[in-house]
Amino acid sequence: MARQITIEPVTRAEGHGKVTIFLDDDGYVRDAQFHVTQIRGFEKFCEGRPFYEMPSLMARICGICPVSHLVASAKACDQLMAVQIPETAEYLRRVMNLAQLIQSHALSFFHLASPDFLLGLDSDPATRNIFGLMQSHPNIARDGIMLRKFGQQIIELLGGKRIHPGWIVPGGVSEPLSVDKRDTILAMLPEAMAAIQRTLDWFKRTFDQYPEEIRTFANFPSLFMGLTNDKGELVHYEGRLRFVDATGKIVADQIEAEDYQKYIGEAVEPYSFLKFPYYKPMGYPEGIYRVGPLARLNLINFVGTPLADAEWAEFRELGRGAVLSSFHYHCARLIEILNGIERIEHILNKSDILDKNVRAYADPNRLEGVGISEAPRGTLIHHYRINEDGIITYANLIIATGHNNLAMNRGVLQVAKHFVKGDQLQEGMLNRVEAVIRAYDPCLSCSTHAVGQMPLHVELVNRDGRVVDELTR
Amino acid sequence: MCLAVPGKIISIDATDPLMRTGKVNFGGIVKEINLAYVPEAEVGNYVIVHVGFAISIVDEDEANRVFEYLREMDELAELEDETSS
Repeated sequence: MARQITIEPVTRAEGHGKVTIFLDDDGYVRDAQFHVTQIRGFEKFCEGRPFYEMPSLMARICGICPVSHLVASAKACDQLMAVQIPETAEYLRRVMNLAQLIQSHALSFFHLASPDFLLGLDSDPATRNIFGLMQSHPNIARDGIMLRKFGQQIIELLGGKRIHPGWIVPGGVSEPLSVDKRDTILAMLPEAMAAIQRTLDWFKRTFDQYPEEIRTFANFPSLFMGLTNDKGELVHYEGRLRFVDATGKIVADQIEAEDYQKYIGEAVEPYSFLKFPYYKPMGYPEGIYRVGPLARLNLINFVGTPLADAEWAEFRELGRGAVLSSFHYHCARLIEILNGIERIEHILNKSDILDKNVRAYADPNRLEGVGISEAPRGTLIHHYRINEDGIITYANLIIATGHNNLAMNRGVLQVAKHFVKGDQLQEGMLNRVEAVIRAYDPCLSCSTHAVGQMPLHVELVNRDGRVVDELTR
Repeated sequence: MCLAVPGKIISIDATDPLMRTGKVNFGGIVKEINLAYVPEAEVGNYVIVHVGFAISIVDEDEANRVFEYLREMDELAELEDETSS
C-alpha cells in the first residue's frame, strides 16, 4: 500500500522540490513546473567580504560538495591575483576534485538511484530505498559504501578531517603531499577499481529491463555543456567550455571562463528562486542545455584513460549522436568513477607530485575573476568582482542544478504527459517524477527528510487554476 | 543553492553496520538518518546530511560557524523583505 507521508514544515534554508502539473480542458497535461525552494540572497551575503575568504566560505555553506566549490572559488581567486599556480598544486587540486566526484557519484548511484531500478519503480516506497536494497542486494550496497569511503578518505588525507578542506587556497594548496599519504592512496586503488568494474558489468546488463524508463526519462533533444581541453578530453578541473547539440555536433568551443556571459543568459521565473540559465544564442527558453556526467560524456572526443575509454565507446552506442535519455546519467556516473580512479593513479605516479612548491602568493592584481570547474553534478561557475582592497563587490554563482533547471522541468513535463491521465495522480507517477529529478541528482540537501526520499509536493491544477489533486511526501 | 545544515546526533542504533542509523536533531526537527557512511560518528557529533544520509562529520566549532552564516543570511533575506514591501 502506498502511503502518503507529510513532511514537517522545514526552515527556509532547506531546499525541497515542488512540482505543479497543469491540465488542459480535456484533462491532458499541458505544462509542468519544478519549483525549487532555495535560499535567496546568497550572492548579497558574499559582498563586503575579503576575496580570500571565499573558498572556505563557499565550502562551508555548500557542504554537500565542498571540494567543488573550493576548486571553482579558488580558480576565480587565482584570476584575481593574476597568478599561475605551481603545476604540482594544480595536480593535487585535481586529485581532490576527482575524489569528490567519486564519492558523490557513489552516493547518487548506489544509494539514491539504484533502489529505483533494483527494487522496481512501482514497489512500495516504504521499502524502495536503501534499507530494502541492503537486504536484497548487500554486495552492491557494500561496493557503494566502499567507493564513497574511498573518495572521502582521499579528501581527508589531503585536506584534514574538517568538512571544509581549507587545503585548497587561492594560489594553490596549503601543504604539499607526503610520501606516506601518496602511498596510502595508491594502496586503496585496486579495491576501488574492482568494485567499479563489478558494478559497471552488472549495471550494463540490466538496461534491457527498463525500455520504458529509458524512452521516457527526460529523453529529449537539448544542448550539452561542460569543460573540455583543446584535445577534447574528459576533464573536471582544467579546460574551457564547449556546447554540443543533440546530434553531438559542436556549436561553441573553447569558451574562456571570462566570456561565459556571452554564451549563458540567466532567466528568472516567479515560481522558483533558482535561476534558469540558457544558451544565449538560442534565446530563452529554447536554449535549454544539460550539464553533468551525461553532458560531459556527450561532448568529449575521448576520455583519455584506457579502461574508461573502452566503456565510453560502448556508451556512445546508446544514442545516435548524443545520448539523450537522462536515464543514462547513471551509467555516465559509473564511467566517470572509473575514469577518476585511473586519473588519480596516473597523477599520483608523476615524478614531481611530492614537490614542495605548491602555492603562489600575491595581492589582488585584477578586479574581476571567473573560476569554472566540473562538479559531480556539472559545471560550476564562480564569478567575483572586487575593489582595490580585495573586498567582494559582486558575486555571481551558477551551480550545476541551476544549469539543469530547464531540463529538469522539461523532464518532469515529459513524464507527467506519459503518466498522468484525468484528474488524478498515481503513486507510480510520483515515483517516476522523483526518479527523473533524481537522475540529475540535484543538490537539494533535504537534511530533514526521510532516508533516500526526495521531499516532493506535487499539485495537479486544472484549467481554472483549481488544485484537483495533490500528493506530498 | 543548496545549503548543508549540520545536525547533531542524539542517539544511534547500530545493530547492523550496513543499516546503522541514528536520530539527528536539526534545530528542533529530529530525523532518522542513515549513518553507514560515517562509521566513526558518535552521539553528540554534528553531521552534514544529504537526502537522509550523513555524508560527513563536522566538529562543533565548524558547525557553529555554519549556523552563524545561516543566521546572517536569514537576516539579510528579512531585510530584503522589509525594504521590498
